[in-house]
Amino acid sequence: MMDAPITDRWIRRLNLLQLVLAGIIIMTPTVWMVLSSFKPSFEVTAYPPTLIFAPTMENYVQLTKTTPFVSYAVNSLIVTIGSTALGLLFGIPAAFAVSWTRITWPAILTLAARMAPGTLFLLPWYVMFRQIGMIGSYTALILSHAVITLPIVIWVLLPTFDGIPRSVFEAAQVDGCSVTRILWRIALPLVASGVAVSAILAFVFSWNYFLFALVLSNGDTKTLIAAAFNFIGEGSTQWGALMAAATLIALPPLILAALVQRWLVSGLTLGAVKG
Amino acid sequence: MSGAAAILTHDRQRLELSALSAPAVIFTVAMIAFPVVYTIWLGFQTFSSTGKQSFAGLANYSKLMSDYEFWHGLWVTIALYVLSLVLQLVLGVWLALVLFHAKRLPGMVRSLFISPFMMPPVVAGMMWLVILDPSLGAANYILQAFGLPPSEWLASPTWVIPTVALIDTWQWTPYVALIVLGGLQSLPPSVYEAAQIDGASSFKTFQRITLPLLLPTIVTAAILRSVDLLRFFDIIYITTQGGPGNASNTLNIYGFRVGFEFFNLGYASALMLTLTAIVFGAVLAFNRLRGAVAW
Repeated sequence: MMDAPITDRWIRRLNLLQLVLAGIIIMTPTVWMVLSSFKPSFEVTAYPPTLIFAPTMENYVQLTKTTPFVSYAVNSLIVTIGSTALGLLFGIPAAFAVSWTRITWPAILTLAARMAPGTLFLLPWYVMFRQIGMIGSYTALILSHAVITLPIVIWVLLPTFDGIPRSVFEAAQVDGCSVTRILWRIALPLVASGVAVSAILAFVFSWNYFLFALVLSNGDTKTLIAAAFNFIGEGSTQWGALMAAATLIALPPLILAALVQRWLVSGLTLGAVKG
Repeated sequence: MSGAAAILTHDRQRLELSALSAPAVIFTVAMIAFPVVYTIWLGFQTFSSTGKQSFAGLANYSKLMSDYEFWHGLWVTIALYVLSLVLQLVLGVWLALVLFHAKRLPGMVRSLFISPFMMPPVVAGMMWLVILDPSLGAANYILQAFGLPPSEWLASPTWVIPTVALIDTWQWTPYVALIVLGGLQSLPPSVYEAAQIDGASSFKTFQRITLPLLLPTIVTAAILRSVDLLRFFDIIYITTQGGPGNASNTLNIYGFRVGFEFFNLGYASALMLTLTAIVFGAVLAFNRLRGAVAW
C-alpha cells in the first residue's frame, strides 16, 4: 500500500483538471459577452476576434441614448417587485397553513403553473384582459407574473415552516394566541431568512420570465426581457450595444443568485429534493 | 376549558387556517383553473377571418391529426427534448461528481459555476447568437483554429436543433449538477468506506454503488428538466423564431404563433392542450420510474 498517497494525489490532480475544464466551458460565454460589451464598435465585429482592446463605455452610452433602456428597466422593476410582493402576500400564509394542517392540495394546485406551458394560460388571459381593456397594464403583467412567484414562495417556505418545532406553536396556543397571530408574531420571525430566500428566488424568476410580457405588455409597459427582441433587431449591426444590454439584463439575477446560492437546491426544485 | 369551548376553538382554528390559504387558492383558481377551462372551451371553437366565433366540435383536433406543421413540431420537440435531456443528465452527473470531490471550493466560485441557469434564457440566447454568428462569431474562429470546418450553427436547418440543445445544455447542466450534488451529499459515507475496504476501484464504486443510489435523484432532475424542455420556448424565440424555415418550430413556438400571430385562438388552444397532455404524461411516466428505482 506504499503507493496509495501517490494515487490519491493523482486522483486529486485529475479532479482539479476536470474542475478547471468545466469552469472554462461554463464561464467563457459569459466572459465573452461582458468583454464584447466594452469593445469599441469597430472591434466587436472584428474577425479574427480580438482579446486585447481599449475598453470603452460607448456601447452603454449608446444603449441609454438610442433606446428606452432605462424606462424598460423601470417597467421590469415594477412588474418584478409587484409580482414578488403579491407572491409573498399570498404565499406566506398559504405555506404556513399547509405546513400546519398537512393538507397539501393548495400547494400542489399552484404547481400546475410550473408544469403547463405558459401559452396555455396566455391564450385565455389575452382574451379576458383584452375584453376588460387591461392589455398593456402593469396590473395584468403583475398578476400574470405572480403565477410564477407564488409556487416558488410556497415551496421554499414549506420546509422552513415544517422545521419549527410544534411545541412552539402549542405553547403559544395555550397562552391564547390565535393561529393568525402565531403566524405573524412567532412563526414569521423564525423563518425570516427563508422568506428572504424565497423573495430573492421569486424576484429572479419573475425578472427572467419572457413569454407573458411578450403578449401582455405594450410599448409603455414593456419589460427588459420582452424588449430584448428589439435590441436584437437593432443589434444585427450593433453587437456592442446588444451585449451591453444582455450584460445589464443578466446582472440583477446573477448578483441575487450569488447571495442565495447555498439555498438554491431546495428553492429551485420546488420541494422535489431536500437541499 | 370545557369540551364545547374546545370544539369551538378547534372550529375557529380550522376557519382561520382556511382563511390563510384562501388568497393563494382563489388567486390560482382565478388565474389558472378558470382560464384552463376557458381554453378547453376555446378548443371547440373556430374563429372566421372576420373574428366571428362558432362551435366546431372536434374540428380543431381532427385538423391537428392532418396538420403537417403539428407533426413536424412534435418531432422537433421530441428530438430537442431527448438530445438535451441526455446531454444534460450525463454532463450533470459528471459535473456533480467533480464538484463533490472539490470540497473546499469557495462559495463565490460555486456561484460562478451555477451562474448560467440564473441568468434569463433570453440573455443566454442573445449571447450565443453573437458567439455562433456564422461569419463573424468566435465559435467558428475556434473551430477553424483547430483545423475544423466552420458551421452555420443556428442558420443551418440540419444543425439548428443540436445547436439549440447545446445552448440549453450549457445553461441547465449546472442545474442538474446541483440537484445531483444534493443527492450525493445525502448518501451515507459508510457505503463508500465499506466499498474501499473491500478494495473496489473508484469506477466500480461509482457504477455499482453510487449510481444506483443516485438514480432517484437523477430521475427527479429528469422530471424537472422534462417539464421545461418539452415546452421549449425562450431561447428559440430569441434566436431563430422557429427557423430557419420551420426547422426549430417546437410545438410551443408553433402554438404561440398560431395564437398570437395568426390569431386562430381555437386551434392554438387545441395545440396547447395537446402539448400540456404530453408534458403531464412525461411527468407521470418519470414519477412511476422514480417509484421503481427508489430505495
